[in-house]
Amino acid sequence: MRELQELSSKLLSEGDVSVVIGYEEGPRGVRPAFIRTPEETNRLVFDHRAVQNLAVYLSPRRAHLRKRGRPAVVIKGCDARAVAGLLRESQISRDDVVLIGVRCGGVYRDPESNGPLSEENVADRCTGCDLREPGHVDHLVGELPSEPPATDRRKSRIAGIEAMSPEERFDFWSSELERCIRCHACREVCPMCVCERCVCEKTDPSWVESSPHLRGALAWQITHALHLAGRCSDCGECERACPAGIPLSLIKGKVNQVVEDRFDYRAGDDPDVPSPLGDFRLEDDQEFIK
Amino acid sequence: MKPEKLYLTEAGLAKLTHDLREAGARVIAPVLATESSSNPVADYREIEDAGRIALGGPLPRLSLKEFFLPPTEALLSWRQVKGDISLDQPSGDYPRTVVVGAFPCDAAALPVLDKVMGWDYRDDPWFGRRKATTIISRACAVKDSSCFCPAVGLSPDSLKGADILLVPVDDSGNNHLVEVLTPAGEELVEAHRDVFESPPDEGKADELRKAALDRASENLDIEPGAIKSWLESNFEHDVWADIADRCHGCGACASVCPTCHCFDIIDEPEGIDRGTRRRNWDTCQASLFTLHGSGHNPRPEQSARYRQRVMHKFAIYPKRFEEILCTGCGRCSRACAAGMDLPEVLRTLDQLASSSEKQTEASSTGGVG
Repeated sequence: MRELQELSSKLLSEGDVSVVIGYEEGPRGVRPAFIRTPEETNRLVFDHRAVQNLAVYLSPRRAHLRKRGRPAVVIKGCDARAVAGLLRESQISRDDVVLIGVRCGGVYRDPESNGPLSEENVADRCTGCDLREPGHVDHLVGELPSEPPATDRRKSRIAGIEAMSPEERFDFWSSELERCIRCHACREVCPMCVCERCVCEKTDPSWVESSPHLRGALAWQITHALHLAGRCSDCGECERACPAGIPLSLIKGKVNQVVEDRFDYRAGDDPDVPSPLGDFRLEDDQEFIK
Repeated sequence: MKPEKLYLTEAGLAKLTHDLREAGARVIAPVLATESSSNPVADYREIEDAGRIALGGPLPRLSLKEFFLPPTEALLSWRQVKGDISLDQPSGDYPRTVVVGAFPCDAAALPVLDKVMGWDYRDDPWFGRRKATTIISRACAVKDSSCFCPAVGLSPDSLKGADILLVPVDDSGNNHLVEVLTPAGEELVEAHRDVFESPPDEGKADELRKAALDRASENLDIEPGAIKSWLESNFEHDVWADIADRCHGCGACASVCPTCHCFDIIDEPEGIDRGTRRRNWDTCQASLFTLHGSGHNPRPEQSARYRQRVMHKFAIYPKRFEEILCTGCGRCSRACAAGMDLPEVLRTLDQLASSSEKQTEASSTGGVG
């Protein structure tokens, strides 16, 4: 913690950056912090509650943040996948940001949790994490903690849905998505939703109905999932932000698995590794071309 | 009207629920949406029996708003046959509904919203549903650090918006003192007299009410009037950029809010010769909300949009309707993925308001001296 605070203080006092985006104690657990002076860096914390993916604040859609100066951002390995995605797609330049990587021992699903990490409270993405030490960063802080406990919660839920008949599966998603109120919180917290104007906000023509009826909710969630295929960093923020409690990471998890099976690709922290949709290989599976 | 007091046991509530349904009413109550005991989640839903009612909390994810202003509703449908266009409008009949176990912060939002819904036009679907619905509130014992109803002039046992108030009389939380508050409440009690007992066993009702009020009062101590004045005279202020830094502009706060009521009206074609005009929830937190056809956006940044949310609740609505557009339920804080916290924001504004008052006093004293 001290290492992170001292580094941040140095970056701010030497004028390398105007703001350090990290984590602080909030009214309900840990939350994103915007630290602008060396004196405030003692507010920075990092522990299992550092759930949020702060890469979202680098998105070009946050132009108002960019106007306030160059940021340093505290990122975990999983967040580094989103940063790599933004770099890969030329949404940001490497010089735009100072990356402070933190070695990570896993995070909770919910930033309000406490106590030791357990199978019950650990975030799904921590299981099998190979990025506990993020690469491609400017600074790396902390000691490498022990591995987080594993959970097969999401895997088994996805397997349960795969085992359903198409009708059962449609009924399952209908019952979940009929709660969708189309607030699009899932989109706004998504670090990879970089479109200046989302396709579902277009009205002439209206490609995706904006009403929160099942037809509109299905159309939107399918669109979001497909636009993230091979791009999703699996941060789970869409599901965490959903005020209706829709298990969106089951959709994203499944699509990520399909991409991995088909293209041998998992989003990683290296921006120079092209994504399946940004790359063409002769050996790519082409059976879908009839 | 002096509230009539009765007594309702757990068995009485079960029979009331049953009898209301027998009489053709739809009964809405908070019910647990998940079985998980570590992190229980509730929703207001139609119930078939009282066994599912989760009176003691948690606060449902969405407020009661969805039953009066649904997330989407059809305003009319059209169909064109050759040159003739025919329109179909909803009947305007709304199902008889009784809400059992409304949280007082949700019930209180309804009369607050009546003012805007009956202002420049009369919103028929809103008032149609209001008229068809009787609200049985239940004094709230749930409280966490995000609740602040006393700071906006309410309380965990607020009568506002309720036709009947249930107050738990013991620690089981299943037996209630019944206060009948309105003619609609009286009508319900008269029609189901056999489930209520009299005289009431008041048990620990007063003690439990006071304890809940004390707990909720601890969370936030502000002067809403001073905040209103400060907001009105400090539209441009640096504080908004700092407050809104972390805000994603996702609008989850508005979706879960019992008083946010903005909507969008959209025509959706459903074939070459037909379609439906719908109104859907909308939010001032979305950049599209104020985007003009010209491309100009008067609220281009999230700081302006977050300011609008606070201004509307604590300055604009109070000025026009003499009501704060907030019931202190705290859902916005609980729902926020980024840790935005309305009590914290109000505390900041309260401090700004009180220091600017002090400055004004100091300068006027200086002038006299």
